[in-house]
Amino acid sequence: MGILETTAGKVLSAYSVFLFLTVLAQAAARRFSTNVLLFSLQSAIIAIQVAVIGYHEKLVEAYVVAALIVLLKVVGIPYAFFRLIEKLQAPREVISATSAAESVFVAVGIICLSYAAVRSYASGVHAPEDGLAASVALILTGAFLMVSRRKALVQMIGLLVLENGIFLAALTTTFGMPLIIEIGIFFDVLMGLLLMGLFVFRIRDTFDHMDVSKLRKLRG
Amino acid sequence: MILLWPLGIAIFGAGVLFCLANPRTATRVALVLGAAEAAVLGDIAWQVYRHGVLTYGNYLRADGLTAFFLINLGLTTGLVLIYASGYMQEAGEDRFFSPRWFYALVFLFLFTMLGVCLSSNLGLLWIMMEGTTLASALLVGFYNTEGAVEAGWKYLVVCTVGIAFALFGTIVLYLAAVRAGISPNTALDWALLADAAPHAALDPHLVKLAFVFVIVGYGTKIGFVPMHSWLPDAHAEAPAPVSALLSAVLLNCALYALLRYDIIVSRVVGPAFPHALLLIFGLLSIVVAGLLILVQRDLKRLLAYSSIEHMGIAAIGFGLGGPLGLYGALLHTFNHSMAKSLLFFGAGNVRQKCGTVRMDRLRGLARVLPQTTGILALGGLAIVGLPPFSLFISEFAILSEAFSQSHYLVSALLLVTLSIVFGGFLHHFMRMICGEPTQTPGTARLLLSEWIVAGIAVACLLLLGIHIPHLFNNMLQQAVAVVR
Amino acid sequence: MTIALGVLQAVLLVIGAPLLRGIVGRLKAVLQRRQGAPIWRPYADIWKLLHKENLVSPSASGVFGLAPLLLLVTSILVTAFIPLLANSALLGSAGDFILMVYLLAFGRFFLALGGIDGGSAFGGMGASREALVSSLAEAPLLLGLAAVAIQASSASIVGMTQWALEQNFFNISAVHLLAFLALGIVALAETGRMPVDNPTTHLELTMIHEGMVLEYSGPNLALIEWASAIKLSFMVGLLIALFAPWGMATALSPAALGLAVVAMLAKMFALAAALAVIESGIAKLRMYSVPDFLGVAAAIGTLAVIFTALMKR
Repeated sequence: MGILETTAGKVLSAYSVFLFLTVLAQAAARRFSTNVLLFSLQSAIIAIQVAVIGYHEKLVEAYVVAALIVLLKVVGIPYAFFRLIEKLQAPREVISATSAAESVFVAVGIICLSYAAVRSYASGVHAPEDGLAASVALILTGAFLMVSRRKALVQMIGLLVLENGIFLAALTTTFGMPLIIEIGIFFDVLMGLLLMGLFVFRIRDTFDHMDVSKLRKLRG
Repeated sequence: MILLWPLGIAIFGAGVLFCLANPRTATRVALVLGAAEAAVLGDIAWQVYRHGVLTYGNYLRADGLTAFFLINLGLTTGLVLIYASGYMQEAGEDRFFSPRWFYALVFLFLFTMLGVCLSSNLGLLWIMMEGTTLASALLVGFYNTEGAVEAGWKYLVVCTVGIAFALFGTIVLYLAAVRAGISPNTALDWALLADAAPHAALDPHLVKLAFVFVIVGYGTKIGFVPMHSWLPDAHAEAPAPVSALLSAVLLNCALYALLRYDIIVSRVVGPAFPHALLLIFGLLSIVVAGLLILVQRDLKRLLAYSSIEHMGIAAIGFGLGGPLGLYGALLHTFNHSMAKSLLFFGAGNVRQKCGTVRMDRLRGLARVLPQTTGILALGGLAIVGLPPFSLFISEFAILSEAFSQSHYLVSALLLVTLSIVFGGFLHHFMRMICGEPTQTPGTARLLLSEWIVAGIAVACLLLLGIHIPHLFNNMLQQAVAVVR
Repeated sequence: MTIALGVLQAVLLVIGAPLLRGIVGRLKAVLQRRQGAPIWRPYADIWKLLHKENLVSPSASGVFGLAPLLLLVTSILVTAFIPLLANSALLGSAGDFILMVYLLAFGRFFLALGGIDGGSAFGGMGASREALVSSLAEAPLLLGLAAVAIQASSASIVGMTQWALEQNFFNISAVHLLAFLALGIVALAETGRMPVDNPTTHLELTMIHEGMVLEYSGPNLALIEWASAIKLSFMVGLLIALFAPWGMATALSPAALGLAVVAMLAKMFALAAALAVIESGIAKLRMYSVPDFLGVAAAIGTLAVIFTALMKR
């Protein structure tokens, strides 16, 4: 019992470091499969975090949510993405508006910005500062991925990272929302992904490419 | 119990319609279900008017504000369904290759919008709002053209990101409520929060932060500038009945959601902060949309920008507050639905008969499509706010509120923008209507369904412009009372 | 006594350097399922080269002969900064990490000059590439070391190692983690290993380090080979000292020293294995992508320095 307590505490403070590392790696990644695997890793870290909190606070709901995260985000969604890549026969590399080094610098800027935001705005919130900063960093990184990457598939990953960040923010501050709402949110995210996958197919069929930066017919 | 009926009919309808492959049967069933839906919604509104707030379980609730928006929803959906039945007949097999998908998705869309209006739990509200995006994304991309696919993708991505921000705002509000001592299981209940807001010690910083995220998030759905990038594309590329649904109903539902948050936040930190934000977004929307209206080349995109502008006017009305401002803003949402639906129906007709909605290719519509031109002209006159149409009343109310509160900048910008929009519409419509016709469409006659919807819409606009019926007025007052 | 220990550490690093290189080569061969050379081969190579004749190009100046000597001397000097067995080093208190970095730069500068001095086209190309890589690698090297120094409140390697020794293994420090990543990438660039440079390539157009030394032969080449082997062992020793120094002898007793030797051998072997895996697993980057790669390291180094202010650990 004693060793588990200390390990739990260390995991709580250490996980934010690993999440920052995944943020940097996602910014630098140049292959789409790397992005998917990093997302899976992020979700796994968050699932561990949920389980640890469940253990600390003696909440059974937390274990259910952790199991859901593992099932959907760590296993299910990445598997679906890999199948999607196969079916689409998409080119493997990620075309980005910024090079790898520039993206990593932007990621560094995002991390500093999230710390600044947490320090100035959320000082009254009694929540682990590192955890909250990690969640804000994930949100901003998701937004950055959506904006700077040109392939539709990577934009979906960016959206997923954004949702991960929001979920983490909820987790760090309030230990989660009522279970039924959490399940509803999961369902919504899943449906959203399904629809986006459908649309990616239609984009590929209509345009013969998946470079969304070239979808510029409607302007003004 | 009655609150479950509209949701039940909608979801049942979606399921049933999906199974009907025959277009004629599907159309008839859809019309019947639409009528049933409208009837139930009218009944709910009547009951709320007579008996006050209705609730069901922990998640459904209907008060005066809900009732008003439900009337709007029911009427507009009914009109859209009637119009769609005729539209599909004319469209033929190559366009509407799947009527069952169309009607099923429309009813699913209706289900989610009803969920937004009827939910009393802020979390459920969010889930339903995300549901509206998902249900309508396929409707937006219904035609398989390049433009439709691009519009559908943009709509899906931008709105999902926006709503994710709204989720963050919801979480922050939940956090504030829980920290103030409200039990976690009920901390998302709107009625509880609205009652407890003045007394409970909710952290004002957190609540302000929550409202900022919520206005950015739900503002994306409403179409506030600068989050509006999805709106012109989606409204332009969708089929006309869907555009009408999006413009007339979806934007109003999103505004309703924002209002719920506005009520809570005003009671915690005072009305200055949220109303200031509403004013800023409203002014930004009307100015940008007003200016962009001048340079439009596509009729439906023009109408989309006009929607952005009118949502901005409504936001200004809500941001000004005061009895006249709120009354005007609520009335404006209803009037805008009617006028915009009318215009989109006309645009749909033009698209079908002439094959294009590019205004530079349309000339002399008065000669070739006299009846559709009539619809467009009436709609155009209504939408720019000319008397005797009701938009004049609502805009006048908002303007007088602005003057009485000495918001001279707001009043000036509003007047200038309305004038610019008037000029723009006049210019575009005159070019389309007058002159030598370039197209030779087939039949120029309107179907019975189109007569009906046009008639009802114009009647509403005229009626409310001349004299607001007593009953309607009272319902409107009840809605205003909820917001104050 | 500490001086003797310091000399012993430096001698170990200098003399044992070719052995480390041989072990890495052997591990790579095992991973790539080929026979591979025996681990003592680098010694044999140096011995062979020392007995050959020095062929100097007619257009070369005195710098050509001076460069290998300076390179070797600076490489040996920097090894005196690293604590290996116990937390003390010959130049531990005399110099800080900036001196160490610039001693390395000094040697590298003269090697580049020597490469140009040889007069061949490939020498000049290798020298200019080396200048690019080393100038870009300098930033993350300094940033990573600076971050660790700020955490440890000490500018000398010995001080940083002392701080690391006092920490609990499970208490991961974000600054150290990021600095380790940055320094790891720099180590690959400095020692001329994959993915920055392929040490076993025979295609001149892909060479960076090998290109510079293409004109050297005989004893000059032997000194250069030895110096590059010393750089590898120096980098490995630096990484171990800063990030995983546990096992070092705290008292100067035979038992503690024996444990320290065993720990050092184990850690060096582990890093050699990691290097072999990286070299066998990752393809060499195009020259255009190398600045990007080093830019990533610089960004990580910047974050490490910023984290010294932001995070508590």
